[in-house]
Amino acid sequence: MKVKNEHEYNDEYQYIGKSEHNVNGVEKVTGAAKYCSDMELPRMLYGKVKRSPYPHAKIISIDTSQAQALPGVKVIIIGDEDICPHRFGAGVADEYVLARDKVRYVGDAVAAVAAETPEIAQEAVDLIEVEYEELTPVFDGDEAFSKNPPAILHEDLKNYKTLRSVPPRYEENRPNVFNYFRIRRDFDEDAFKDADIVLENRYEVAMIHHVQMEPHCGIAEIDGTGKLTVHGTSSKPYGMHRDISECRGMPSSSVRVIIPTHVGGSFGGREPKAEQIAASLVLAQKGYPKRPVKMWFTREEQLSTCTTRARYIVEIKTGAKKDGTLVANEMRTILVGGAYAGTGYLTARNGSFGPAANYKIPHFKLDAYGVYTNQRMAGAFRGFGNAETLWGMEGNVDMIAEKLGIDPLEFRRKNCVDEGDLNAFQEKMHSVGAKECLEAAARDIEWGKKSEPRAPHLKVGKGIALGNKYSIVPTASACFVKVHPDGRMELRTSTVELGQGSNTIFSQMIAEEFQIPVSNVKVWNPDTDTTPFDLGTASSRSTFNMGNAIRKACKDAKRQLFELAARELEANQADLETADAKVFVKGSPDRSIEIKDLFIPMVIGGYTLKEGGEIIGKATYYLPGEIPDPDTGKSERPASFYMFVAQAAEVEVDTQTGQIKVLKIVTANDCGKAMNPMMVEGQQDGGVLSMGIGSALLEEVLVDNGVMLNPQFADYKIPTTLDCPDCDNYKTAIIETAHREGPWGAKGVGEGTMVSSAPAIANAIYDAIGIRFHEIPMTPERVLTALEEREKSGQIHFGGKYPEPAFKASGN
Amino acid sequence: MEKLSLTVNGEYIEAEITPQTTLQKFLHDNLGLTGTKEGCGEGLCGCCTVRVDGKAVKSCIILALQMDGKNVQTIEGLAEGERLDPVQEAFLDHGGFQCGFCTPGMINASRAFLDENPKPTEKEVRHALSGNLCRCTGYNKIVKAVLSVDPPKETVAK
Repeated sequence: MKVKNEHEYNDEYQYIGKSEHNVNGVEKVTGAAKYCSDMELPRMLYGKVKRSPYPHAKIISIDTSQAQALPGVKVIIIGDEDICPHRFGAGVADEYVLARDKVRYVGDAVAAVAAETPEIAQEAVDLIEVEYEELTPVFDGDEAFSKNPPAILHEDLKNYKTLRSVPPRYEENRPNVFNYFRIRRDFDEDAFKDADIVLENRYEVAMIHHVQMEPHCGIAEIDGTGKLTVHGTSSKPYGMHRDISECRGMPSSSVRVIIPTHVGGSFGGREPKAEQIAASLVLAQKGYPKRPVKMWFTREEQLSTCTTRARYIVEIKTGAKKDGTLVANEMRTILVGGAYAGTGYLTARNGSFGPAANYKIPHFKLDAYGVYTNQRMAGAFRGFGNAETLWGMEGNVDMIAEKLGIDPLEFRRKNCVDEGDLNAFQEKMHSVGAKECLEAAARDIEWGKKSEPRAPHLKVGKGIALGNKYSIVPTASACFVKVHPDGRMELRTSTVELGQGSNTIFSQMIAEEFQIPVSNVKVWNPDTDTTPFDLGTASSRSTFNMGNAIRKACKDAKRQLFELAARELEANQADLETADAKVFVKGSPDRSIEIKDLFIPMVIGGYTLKEGGEIIGKATYYLPGEIPDPDTGKSERPASFYMFVAQAAEVEVDTQTGQIKVLKIVTANDCGKAMNPMMVEGQQDGGVLSMGIGSALLEEVLVDNGVMLNPQFADYKIPTTLDCPDCDNYKTAIIETAHREGPWGAKGVGEGTMVSSAPAIANAIYDAIGIRFHEIPMTPERVLTALEEREKSGQIHFGGKYPEPAFKASGN
Repeated sequence: MEKLSLTVNGEYIEAEITPQTTLQKFLHDNLGLTGTKEGCGEGLCGCCTVRVDGKAVKSCIILALQMDGKNVQTIEGLAEGERLDPVQEAFLDHGGFQCGFCTPGMINASRAFLDENPKPTEKEVRHALSGNLCRCTGYNKIVKAVLSVDPPKETVAK
């Protein structure tokens, strides 16, 4: 299904907009695809990490003598001045490769071993003795946030290095706050004056894990010139490059980061320290030659010690007029982070973008915080904080609509932003498909039509939710497009193919530009020695940013090509075109030259050009945007673009067992021009069916005193084939609202795909059983408890410390 | 070290291995058949699924020595020369994979299942694949791919 808006497309495109096969597909279905974890190098050693058993403790001493004596052990490192001279981090340099002085979470890395086999390395790790002095930990978000927290994670936070371009902001009186962001749009004590109804609520989401199918892996090697090469599973090769050179104080030109063509998923969670630890284990070896080291985390290590989606606390007060017009919204959000901020420093800020851009709300106040606790890092996760904050907003909005007697779909349609509206940043919105998404989702779920329950104890209901996801600024992508002497094209890009299909989409773009088959384009894997800068494969930014860079680079390559061809064809450059590996004069296809004939075959072998080296088009797409004002959030361009999404669900709740079954779920995503509809659907499918349903109903990292209780797939449940509705009961709609700056009008899709799933399901559950859940996941146990409590006290709200009031007083 | 002889992808192999070597490690590390992925090492994700005498087996929780005299088929042995298996074709056509890490196991599980049940219902497909985890696709296109595979002609004739 496609809905067109006023922007019309040229549907005469040959390659873009088509559901081309994945260009790496044959490798993937035949087992030929090699991942980092499949890589072996001659004389490679295997690394293992010694991790802290305490959530917060001083390191008194580390004894490695017994481990050192174990045959097969080659090198052991601990967090000292030599191995860990500098801290690193996405925005706050708060982390060493190995903990120095104190550990801050259960699993914090204190030492690492490289040995002949993984088994020997593990045995050595077990022989390392660490003496600790336990310190009081803090896990609870409210406690960590308080002015007198039971523990301070980083006493010296103010002296840490921070990122200049988007600096974090601390809170004078709250020592665990690692970032604070605020929005004030026309907000004062009278903000709610015109509201006929005001609702204050608190919402929470559980800590969940990305569960990428390939565990994190890093392999490091060094050559005789001192050049360190690190192969890894990172989604941000240049971020990894910076982290490694910074934490070791190495010249950046001495570090090379390579990401294989195949990485087993990311979803924002590729920020472990596997690569940094592998690099440290190589650099620590004495003498020459130094042996390569592979650091491959086990599934349990990945689940229990690596980055997560944070527990989030969302307190929200929303006011509306009787006619359903939203008047004011006040929010406080806390990202309950881990011991180190990681990309969570930015999530804490950017999680506010979703609520800021969903509805037309004239008075808007938001305070967003990220706080340290004694848990593993909580960083980026599909949606980047917005699924969490919108969980609160879409609950509140649904309740207001109900109390005003307005249909929740109508309420959203009335208030959602549209082209030209101002959002809370006071940015004029462009490319907004919110209404079209709502209408498509309502149509596909058959909104207003009630299903018949199969039995009296099985209650059915429908719910809907609206969401959006911005994409980051400042942003930049660069690439090279090379024209080969055989007339085929090559793309050098640092975008990581994580499964989303970027290699295919980029190939389609170049195929379109040069009018050659998609299979005649080859995409290189990221390699910081040969592929130029890219901000990272995150924020659904690749199609838009790298896509724009590719178009510019193709133009540059064509300019060079036409310059050469113009001489041969005795024509004007401006009159030339290319297709099928030929250059020809527009309108006179007989006046043409094959690209290969522009190259001179050379004695002994190879081809050359008379000048210019090679035909390589190069370009950067750079969009600085405008960093929001730190006090008001005001910005004319806080984001590159916004993807809108509406989802609706029909659920069946078994009031005897508490089981919730998603009978049907539908999603409509506004991604701009869909470059490859099959791949857009793939993103929708994974976002809704795996992560949306999983986060709403199944997934929670259970923690006791900092120890994860469910670090295996037997206990940490992600959806299986049986948890998802049948194919006929799942529908996707692609809404193509063109963006004037997007390549062919494209935006992005992946990050926006789960931001509405949990609230749509929760609103359906309310429709079915009349319970408002304030916390996810909504497990059978919680459903039964909620039903029992309602029986006893009549309370219809459940979870997330409800009914603790959110705001004692509003105002500035 | 213990002696082991088995057939892998149609090739007779004799090997000497340590008794604790799992089938997954044997295939992946010893034979270099890296399509047999380790996703958890506990038999819970299904990434390592191979076919043993035609049946789907999670190779990370079975010892290689238990395979003595058996016929093991990995993802690398599924295509016949240049011709992909219909299941592989269906995964390509439907986009039944993204990152691809679970794909070899998913395809092996599907092939073994379809060999037993060439014309399954959606419910049967979902049950058959419920032990194979995928985080990227939400299974939608995987299930559609498996359902799209035409039963072999001789089956239709019966």
